Amino acid sequence: MSQGTPHVEDVLGTIDRGLWRRIASHGRPYSSSAIAMVIGGVLIAVVESMLPLVTGWLVDAVVDQSSPTRMTWLGILYVSLCVGFCVLVWWFIVAAGRLATGLAHDLRQASFKRLQQLEFEYFDLQPAGWLVSRLTSDCRKVASLMPWFLLDLCWGITFLILVATAMLLIDYELALYVMTIVPILVVVTFYFQGKLLRSSRLMRKTNSELTAVYNEGIMGVRTTKSLTREQENLSEFQVVSDTMHRHSMTNAIQTSIFLPIVTSVGSIGVGIALWAGGLQIADGEGLSIGMLVAFMQYAVLFAMPVQELAARLSDLKGAQAAAERIQGLLDRVPAIRDSDEVLDRMREMQGVTSDELAIDGGDADINTIEFKDVSFWYKQGEPVLLNLDLAIRPKETIALVGPTGVGKTTIASLLCRFYEPCEGGIYINDVEYRKRSLHWLQSNLGIVLQHPHLFSGTVAQNIAYGMPGISKDRIIQAATQVEAHGFIEQMPQGYESEVGEGGGRLSIGQRQLIALARAVLADPQVFVMDEATSSVDTETEHHIQQGIEAALADRIAVVIAHRLSTVRSADRILVVESGQIVEQGSHAALLEAGGAYRELYRRHFAGSS
Amino acid sequence: MISEPRLYGAAIVAMVLSALLMYLVPLIPQVVIDGVLLESGEGPSSFERFILSLLGGSEFVGRNLWWPGLVILFLSVLAGAFAYFRGAFSAKATERIVQRMRDNLYQKLQRAPVGFIDRSETGDLIQRCTSDVDTVRIFLSAQVVEVARAIAMLIVPLPFMLLISPVMTLASIVFLPVIVIFAFFYFKRIRVAFLDVDEAEADLTSTVQENISGIRVVRAFAQQEQECEKFDGRNGRHRDLDNHLYRVLAWFWSISDLMCMSQKIIVVGLGLVLLGLGHLEVGAFFFFLTVVSMFVWPIRQMGRILADLGKAQVALGRIGHVLEQPEESHGETGVELARESLAGAISFRGVTFSHPESDPVLHDISFEVAAGSTIALVGPSGCGKSTIINLLMRFYEPDEGSIELDGIRLSEIDRTSLRSNLSVVMQEPFLYSRSLMDNLAMGRDGAEEREIVEATTVASIHDSIMEFEEGYSTVVGERGLTLSGGQRQRLSIARALLRDPAVLVLDDALSAVDTKTERAILAALKDRKHRHTTILIAHRLTTVMQADEVLVLDEGRIVDRGSHDELLKRQGIYRRFWDIQHKGMDSLNDDSSGDSA
Repeated sequence: MSQGTPHVEDVLGTIDRGLWRRIASHGRPYSSSAIAMVIGGVLIAVVESMLPLVTGWLVDAVVDQSSPTRMTWLGILYVSLCVGFCVLVWWFIVAAGRLATGLAHDLRQASFKRLQQLEFEYFDLQPAGWLVSRLTSDCRKVASLMPWFLLDLCWGITFLILVATAMLLIDYELALYVMTIVPILVVVTFYFQGKLLRSSRLMRKTNSELTAVYNEGIMGVRTTKSLTREQENLSEFQVVSDTMHRHSMTNAIQTSIFLPIVTSVGSIGVGIALWAGGLQIADGEGLSIGMLVAFMQYAVLFAMPVQELAARLSDLKGAQAAAERIQGLLDRVPAIRDSDEVLDRMREMQGVTSDELAIDGGDADINTIEFKDVSFWYKQGEPVLLNLDLAIRPKETIALVGPTGVGKTTIASLLCRFYEPCEGGIYINDVEYRKRSLHWLQSNLGIVLQHPHLFSGTVAQNIAYGMPGISKDRIIQAATQVEAHGFIEQMPQGYESEVGEGGGRLSIGQRQLIALARAVLADPQVFVMDEATSSVDTETEHHIQQGIEAALADRIAVVIAHRLSTVRSADRILVVESGQIVEQGSHAALLEAGGAYRELYRRHFAGSS
Repeated sequence: MISEPRLYGAAIVAMVLSALLMYLVPLIPQVVIDGVLLESGEGPSSFERFILSLLGGSEFVGRNLWWPGLVILFLSVLAGAFAYFRGAFSAKATERIVQRMRDNLYQKLQRAPVGFIDRSETGDLIQRCTSDVDTVRIFLSAQVVEVARAIAMLIVPLPFMLLISPVMTLASIVFLPVIVIFAFFYFKRIRVAFLDVDEAEADLTSTVQENISGIRVVRAFAQQEQECEKFDGRNGRHRDLDNHLYRVLAWFWSISDLMCMSQKIIVVGLGLVLLGLGHLEVGAFFFFLTVVSMFVWPIRQMGRILADLGKAQVALGRIGHVLEQPEESHGETGVELARESLAGAISFRGVTFSHPESDPVLHDISFEVAAGSTIALVGPSGCGKSTIINLLMRFYEPDEGSIELDGIRLSEIDRTSLRSNLSVVMQEPFLYSRSLMDNLAMGRDGAEEREIVEATTVASIHDSIMEFEEGYSTVVGERGLTLSGGQRQRLSIARALLRDPAVLVLDDALSAVDTKTERAILAALKDRKHRHTTILIAHRLTTVMQADEVLVLDEGRIVDRGSHDELLKRQGIYRRFWDIQHKGMDSLNDDSSGDSA
């Protein structure tokens, strides 16, 4: 482990002020709370620094047998300072609450909105759990430290200045002696905060490793038992739990050594005050007993603001990574978005209602879709599609077939504008689709994917997703058309049965049927089905064939399926190989031709003569 | 090694000593002021004279005022050292207990029957193992210590206080019960506010979670705005509840601060009166003021901690629930199987099985599989195919009937030994987030590279692996490359083959593999047929047609059995499946008979 001076730097050196200024700017709507906190912080420092002084005056007044009026006034001052302190405590916590919760809310809102705009590529690269913690723990962490940072900064600095001033006013020589402990306090405090920051980071890191190992242990329990690896897994777990033990111990030891050292440094101040102050009193040089008492109290007080300031700076440093992640998310420009031109047209179209014109002023109906010379790659130099040409005619159902990984799903994703072509263009009614509104296109598509996602809620709510208030009859009708009605009715609460998180209470096949019903109910202009029935059992698939054909008639449909029985009825079948269409035609024509499709077909049923 | 109770005992001793020393520190300036600096008044009390004599007498101290200053520093350092020991000892004991708890939990999760894991939610289990353990850790290392410290801080100075002034002592503690009781009841009452915020946050989290995992559906239905609205509602609710909590806490802190201040005001007020009457020394007044400031804050914390104790109790209960689960018997004196002499014959006799409190999943299942042969199980989803495998692996135990391997009842075979000789590949196989090589080698420790390549070749995954930039060193899983379903299935088949099992089970393990690859794998498996008995489960009937016998299951019963050809002739459920899946065959056969032989 590396040791030495960098600890102080750890806390102070690498704080990214620009980043924090940007984060703070999100709190602008709550500037009144922030101002309230600044005032509260300064006032509390004033009150707190006055208390020892007033106590000292009181002692002197009693010792000197001052007038009862003076004593009464001092008493009233003392009590009102105490009460004022409590009022201020209430005041800044309320202000802090408004600032912290408001800022967290606004950061979350903005982040969530940005997530809705970002392209899929972003989601492909970030694990879902990672994104979730951006919006939950990161936002909380960043927002909740803001008010306390503000408060302790104002309070701490004011307090230090006031205590120093009070001491200097009482006896500047004695004050200078006592204040020699301040530099020591600063060095010690920052050194330990740096160490603590490190060890608590290591603890957190190990803790998430620990969680991952538990997760793996639970998710893989069958595999573990099958491979009889219980003992090996336990020894591997113990490596992580040993590390956790080590880091926790380091952190605990550092914590328990830190405070005693700070207190000891503080007591040097008290010792000096007693020695030098006592000498003055003994020499009869004017320092009163009451002021000596006040002085000794002040000497202890130095430690507190220094400690708090160091702790807040260390918090800031600790949350910096979280702040960077949030700001990074907010700064990310969606790669797929409406062009300025489209946005202008949509503004012009506001308030216009027309059956023929869409929200962006273009055609409302989708008649033809054409891929012209489209190339696409996820990674430069590894094209998935190369110069693909494909024209879909009005109301045509096309099927894409071919082995895994040839680009069928990519074609569908491009059509849905989940991704955009790297070269070439896709034309809807002869207009390049990047000149049309993204929202318009996607709200006219019915997309059913191989891994359908259900939202927690009832079966009915899932089928009616995006169409609140639709009648139960139409939901049942859609479910019946795709043969989902039967199994739904058999569920304990029928259409009102909960599907569980992510649809977990249903089999994949059942989830696919519900997703299909959802698309049928939405009645889109274009249907896109990517392996939409791959997990539906043989008999059911046979039954829904007719329903699907009915749903696909009268509109453009793009179907991708492994099971060739599913695609036979398409108007046109396209065989895709290595990102290009190698063959196309009707089922009968392609079989006749005896090319790639026939080979695929033969293999599919091979051995069953 | 010192036992944990002793460590805690040592921590308590260190804590009392540290508290004692901390109180001696303010005593020093007191006696110096009263006995040396102050000429007026009644002079020091006998107790103060005693302390002063320990310091060397008032003459000596008066001439050497640096000496009491140094004593203060020395006592502080000593108090600090004991405080450190208190922290170090209690941390040591706590961390040891916590680590043991973590290890036991992990071991329990590994050893508990699969049924327990199946019935539990993963997230909930993980929470028990992490955040609940952490709650207990904080309880032991911070809260217990805090309460003990508060008590020590209060009790240790009492004798001194009583010696100096019984009246002032009473004044110093008169308000403490109110402070503790207020904190205790206030926190009990506002627990709801904390729970509300937790709940709202959980709600927020699951909304985001769902939105992200369903982002394709959201976009596909152009529901971004509605999703934002939904989120806004929950986000706003969370803000309001959180803000409410801040307000509730603002009242708590300000009121309890006022109470602590009142305690100090009482001391100051009475002290000043006594001072005026000449019944109290200035130094003693300073002592009481300091002592009160030292114990009033820990005492306030105490009320809050006591109110929080319920949390630790709940967490302990939740952890206990996991630790109480029975384990699968391991290392029992069962029959150890020797691979060389194991043939792999399986027989099920009258096996019935049901999950707790539900209808039977399997009814009276009987079948025999000869060593080295291949049997296939087909039927609609939920018909009990996978349950048969679970029983064979002894993940579950049958309610009635018996299962035998080579004529030995499974329940008489050592569980580890049984599982070492069976290999199951599941539809959604689990890979550990490590390198491909590590995942494969888990099949058998010390497998040679030649054997690994042989297995991956049979499973048709070797070529795909070689295409990865890092080949066999590629890390997969959560922190690595995401493999497709088909690749995962093929990798697990290779892993299973490496174990050279007596029985190989493919539980719908080829569903995500394309037809061409599937055929290659099946053909390669056929070549190794003599090496193991094979159980095949599949939807695609072309997959199972090579089996020596096919069992057709429906609703937990065997409804038909025979070879593929026999079943086809019978016009039963099998025939119907076949027809549906092969509707297209006719068109192919019409114009190319003889081509597809």
